[in-house]
Amino acid sequence: MINRVIEEIFIDVCEPSDNAQVIYTARQMAADIGFDETQQFLIATAVSELATNIIRYASKGIVILRLVSKMSNTGDIQGIEVTAKDNGAGISDIDKAMQEHFSTGNSLGLGLPSVKRIMDEFFIQSSPEKGTVVIAKRWGQ
Amino acid sequence: MNEKDRINNQINNQIDDNLALQILRQIPTPVMAVDRDLKIIFMNQAGCSFIGKNFEEIKGSYCYSIFNSAHCQTPECRMKKVIEGEDASKAVRNEIRINDRTVYIEYTAAPLKDDNDNIIGGLEYILDITDRVRQEQKLKEQSRIIMEISTPAIKLWDRIVVLPVVGVIDSMRAQQMMDTMLKQITKNSSKVIILDIQGVAAVDTAVANHLIKIAKATKLMGCRCIISGISPAVAQAIVQLGIDLGEINTNSTLEDALSDAFALLKFEVVRKK
Ligand SMILES: Nc1ncnc2c1ncn2[C@@H]1O[C@H](COP(=O)(O)OP(=O)(O)OP(=O)(O)O)[C@@H](O)[C@H]1O
Ligand SMILES: [Mg+2]
Repeated sequence: MINRVIEEIFIDVCEPSDNAQVIYTARQMAADIGFDETQQFLIATAVSELATNIIRYASKGIVILRLVSKMSNTGDIQGIEVTAKDNGAGISDIDKAMQEHFSTGNSLGLGLPSVKRIMDEFFIQSSPEKGTVVIAKRWGQ
Repeated sequence: MNEKDRINNQINNQIDDNLALQILRQIPTPVMAVDRDLKIIFMNQAGCSFIGKNFEEIKGSYCYSIFNSAHCQTPECRMKKVIEGEDASKAVRNEIRINDRTVYIEYTAAPLKDDNDNIIGGLEYILDITDRVRQEQKLKEQSRIIMEISTPAIKLWDRIVVLPVVGVIDSMRAQQMMDTMLKQITKNSSKVIILDIQGVAAVDTAVANHLIKIAKATKLMGCRCIISGISPAVAQAIVQLGIDLGEINTNSTLEDALSDAFALLKFEVVRKK
């Protein structure tokens, strides 16, 4: 299975209004792959969760959106890959952060578990020295 | 002498000094060198045309008198830093004025050393990033305008107000929406407020949280809040996010929301006989 990057967009996020660009870019990319309206909306929502977390907990970072493709039994399929990276304080207990209703930010605590649910692949790594990186992918048909 | 040094030496010997100078002169980006007092001792062709002067005119002048940049004669000046032996070799943004025009640049400074490694001045190369900065400014401005398109509150009927929400909701905008709604409630003694979210770009947890808060606040003021425009996409998002909208009334269309509002206020719409 080979992953190939077809398109790549870097978006710096440091203030709430930067989230707009993240949302619109994610939607556009999802539309380009052929996801229907509902799926576009869901993917944009997931990506937005990650951008919001960066702004909230790390104050600044970067969101990279990639249009990727891989070979499968049924031929080439395309997908969207989001990487959200920051050099913030990191997450001290990832297992807890992945639980529903866990929030240190007085919010709903639903962001990360939702991203995992909406996307097909989910990877998270975090340390106080290096900050947090989340990579999530969603494959089309 | 190790292998790497040997190869370097060989390369150095191969490039004759004259050629190196020609390359430096002609490289299509401004390059400048100054002595320890910041007097210009070298400027290549691209540099001269960048500032619109001959080398003869500027030779020996203080670089800050020529560039007059935002960093000039401030502790920000990277040239000064590298001359004083500080590590300031990272490219930095700066702006200069040439013929009353603001030019945005990115410059990288390095110490100029003699054969004995003594710092005898500094050198820098400059990139004109004006186009890039202008694009960035335009983008920022545009997103600011989009965000600022105020959330209009429309009085639809006696004591019924609609707030159409389009685009992206962030905390600033949510606050704005909350203010608008609460004001409307007192101003028109509204009893039902319909928040139409059909046009929002994404309903993430932050947005949902804001909507819940707005609905709660309106309720505290004795007003009912109906959220309409719950498209299949919005409904799916809310379910996937696991958000509990509690007792907030929702409708798929504005039309349905309006007829609910009529029912709440005991209005009846009848066709003329
Ligand atoms: N980029 C990050 N840097 C540091 N900590 C983070 C980061 N992202 C998430 N966290 C931590 O993980 C917790 C859970 O995140 P999650 O997105 O699931 O919920 P939330 O942001 O608290 O609430 P919600 O997303 O529902 O508004 C956060 O409260 C925070 O402590
Ligand atoms: Mg979150």
